[in-house]
Amino acid sequence: MLGLFAPIFAFLIQQADVGRGSLMWQSARNPDLSKFLVIGALLFIIGVAGVLTRRNIIVIFMSIELILNAANLNFIAFSRYLQDTGSVNAVAGQVFAVFVIVVAAAEAAIGLGIVIALYRNKETIWVDEIDILKW
Amino acid sequence: MHRYIWLIPLLPLAGAALNGLLGRKFRFSEKLIGGIAVGSIALSFLLSLTAVYSYAFSSHAIWPAAYVTSQDGASFTWIPGGAVNITQGSEERMSGAMEEESRRKLAEIPPEQRTNPQAILVSGVVQPRSSILNVEWSYQLDALSSIFMLVVTGVGLCIFVFATGYMHDDPGFYRFFAYMGLFMFSMLVLVMGSNFLMMFVGWEGVGLCSYLLIGYYFNRKEAADASRKAFLTNRIGDFGFALAIFAVIATFGTAQYTDVFVQAKSYPIEGLWQWGILSWIALGLFVGACGKSAQLPLHVWLPDAMAGPTPVSALIHAATMVTAGLYMVTRTNVIFQHSKTMMLVVALVGAATALFAATIGITQNDIKKVLAYSTVSQLGFMFMACGVGAFVIGIFHVMTHAFFKALMFLGAGSVIHGMHHEQDMRRMGGLKKYMPYTYMTFLAGWLAICGIIPFSGFWSKDEILWNAASTSYIPLGWLVWVVGVIAATCTAFYMTRLVAMTFWGKERFLNTHEHDAGHEAHGDGTSGHHAHVPHESPGSMVAPLVVLAVLATLGGLVGIGPAFKFITGSDHPGGRMNIVNFMDPIIWNPETREFGKEHGAATVAHAAETTAPAETHARAEVPTPGSESAGHPEGFNLAHSAESALGTHTRAEWLFIVISLVIAAVGILLAVLFYVWRPSLPDIWAARLKPLYIASYNKYWVDEIYGWAITRRTMDLARAVYAFDAKVIDGAVNGSAWVTRLASRITGGTDQYFVDGLVNAIAAFILRLMSPLFRAAQTGFTQNYALVMVMGLVAVVALFFAADIIDAVKAITTGT
Repeated sequence: MLGLFAPIFAFLIQQADVGRGSLMWQSARNPDLSKFLVIGALLFIIGVAGVLTRRNIIVIFMSIELILNAANLNFIAFSRYLQDTGSVNAVAGQVFAVFVIVVAAAEAAIGLGIVIALYRNKETIWVDEIDILKW
Repeated sequence: MHRYIWLIPLLPLAGAALNGLLGRKFRFSEKLIGGIAVGSIALSFLLSLTAVYSYAFSSHAIWPAAYVTSQDGASFTWIPGGAVNITQGSEERMSGAMEEESRRKLAEIPPEQRTNPQAILVSGVVQPRSSILNVEWSYQLDALSSIFMLVVTGVGLCIFVFATGYMHDDPGFYRFFAYMGLFMFSMLVLVMGSNFLMMFVGWEGVGLCSYLLIGYYFNRKEAADASRKAFLTNRIGDFGFALAIFAVIATFGTAQYTDVFVQAKSYPIEGLWQWGILSWIALGLFVGACGKSAQLPLHVWLPDAMAGPTPVSALIHAATMVTAGLYMVTRTNVIFQHSKTMMLVVALVGAATALFAATIGITQNDIKKVLAYSTVSQLGFMFMACGVGAFVIGIFHVMTHAFFKALMFLGAGSVIHGMHHEQDMRRMGGLKKYMPYTYMTFLAGWLAICGIIPFSGFWSKDEILWNAASTSYIPLGWLVWVVGVIAATCTAFYMTRLVAMTFWGKERFLNTHEHDAGHEAHGDGTSGHHAHVPHESPGSMVAPLVVLAVLATLGGLVGIGPAFKFITGSDHPGGRMNIVNFMDPIIWNPETREFGKEHGAATVAHAAETTAPAETHARAEVPTPGSESAGHPEGFNLAHSAESALGTHTRAEWLFIVISLVIAAVGILLAVLFYVWRPSLPDIWAARLKPLYIASYNKYWVDEIYGWAITRRTMDLARAVYAFDAKVIDGAVNGSAWVTRLASRITGGTDQYFVDGLVNAIAAFILRLMSPLFRAAQTGFTQNYALVMVMGLVAVVALFFAADIIDAVKAITTGT
């Protein structure tokens, strides 16, 4: 698993090495697209890891929110990038992000409802005790 | 009028169709049915009369030549046969002279009249190996068919009229007349057809109608059996006939009479025991004639055929159908005269049949059986005539026999009708008082068949015996004559016996039923006030009897022989009205090798008379050089011995006339002695000649012999074949079925236990092996599924960016 992420770390380190001093600062103040994408990817990976590893269904839920927000970050990042390049339709990414937030809110409402119903039936929120998907 | 002869067979057919198809559905009355049937036959008869008059006696007569309707276009191609390979080598037999002759003859014919026969004649010369066989449906009018047309329609008309009375109140009235009309059609096609195949159609048609009419009372077992017997026996004959027709077509390439005979004329004559193709053809034809005309090996069906209604017996089994064999032999006399063997066979079979049947007739008690054996015997006489070369006399006897035998059958029918369906002569007797017209007319028939001088039978029978004695065609003529004389004596005897037992003497039906009839029956016999008192038949039955009686009395005058020259002034008086002169053109003369001009028998018969220069007589004593046919066969000739003993030919002929009259008288007187003067004598003589009596009474056990030798053996064979079928064929079938079942059981077992087992085993193995894996994968935990999804996602991304990732890794590791 670490081997999988090694190139990403390497990439971030390489960027950091390039702008030593003022360049580094400048790049921190005016981050380019790749920085956002890396952050988004990290957020996504953390979310995925949380979904896969945590037993508490609420935590998994929160991890899913992380994944969604990773996607939102990407949308915003691309929107900003496209705005810099002067594209006419740069605002679409922001609109998508708003959509995602709305859908996430709805999903959270439904998901929490399901969790409550599940808890009422199974008396647990530990997902390794819930294996009824195989039936 | 002879242009319309094609109507003659069609009218009875139309009448039969009307009666047979509509008679039942629309419930025709007996008068209507009888009217249709009699009317159609009467029209046919009138047409025949006018046609024959116009053909032979009117101012525009074409008599010596044959008239075929295709000359006027009244014909159609019936069987478009195509090319036929002539298998019998005709080109060897066609000499150069013949080829020239046929070319010359063809050139004489105007091109528009060149029809099928001539074309084939030439093609036979030029291309002897193949010919075009187009069988046409056309009618031929010549001397022979004229006589048969008149006899068939004329006697047929009498019998139809009689039948309307005889069949009165029969539920199958319409059926009877439909069959009878169909019979008339078939018979007319038989005698009027212009080729062998049409004759065959008529031949089979009359056989069918004979079958239908013998079995008319099909609910009676003996009638049904008799009809089958007649049909099957005739099949044997028809087989020979069919083979002969095939042989004719294979030899001559055509079936048309005129064409065949023109070719056959030039074949060499085949001597005794020399079996050329014409002998074989003649043999086949004669087998057919034996079947149809009830000659010796195949005669068994005719007496049984008496199970049919009496008019049927009169029309089919006495007057017309059974003479079809004679018609055929006379029609093909060219072929028969080419085979000395077959002439001898015909004569001997005829003589044997005549004697054989006559001796059986003596002891029978059923009135119709006596007449049936009499018919067989008389047919034997006719074949005797044909065999000794006197074809015309044979046909003459056909004609006179048709008159007197139809008369006697109808008389017997009248008696049976009057006696309320009693056929046993032992219960008759004294009927002349009750049935005077029947009696008087029957007497005419009786005298005719016995051969008393002015009656018709005398002329023909005497001529037959004379020709047998004087024949130059075959050896053993004297034997044929002796047999004929004995048979004629028997004929006179049994016919007198029949008349005596039926019409004379005591009224035995009264003795038998004395307590029923009492003495009142003696009062008025014709009133029919009691069921067992015979009555005279109605006018519709008596009138034909009278007509036939006149014919039976006077009918022989058309054939007065040369012995009466001192009265009539010529050998065959009457010109064309004399049957010998009339039929001469169709008889082949082996000496001149042409048709007509005093055929051979007459020539020989008159050869001794040198006082007739007008006639073209070849001298029989001087054989024509180069011709095998002329000259006497080796051996004893009765007539010539008589001639040399008495001096002149006429005296010899008169000697034979006197002999035939004496034998008739002897037969009659013996029978009168036995059955009138001394009624005890028959029993005494039957006891004295017991073996002979029993043999004759049992008809020489021919039926029993056939039953044992043929029917039983056929059934044995059938049984054996059935057993073979049941055991071997069915066994093989069942055995193969058993083997198949065994094989299927083996393969089924293999399939079930081996193949299915293997499949099941493999499936089970795989299932057992793999199921834990798959089951383990299905944990039901969401996270496991999500992990798999993520791994899949990573794998897809890794694949998608494989190259970029590798580049990046390379860049990192190399540190650039």
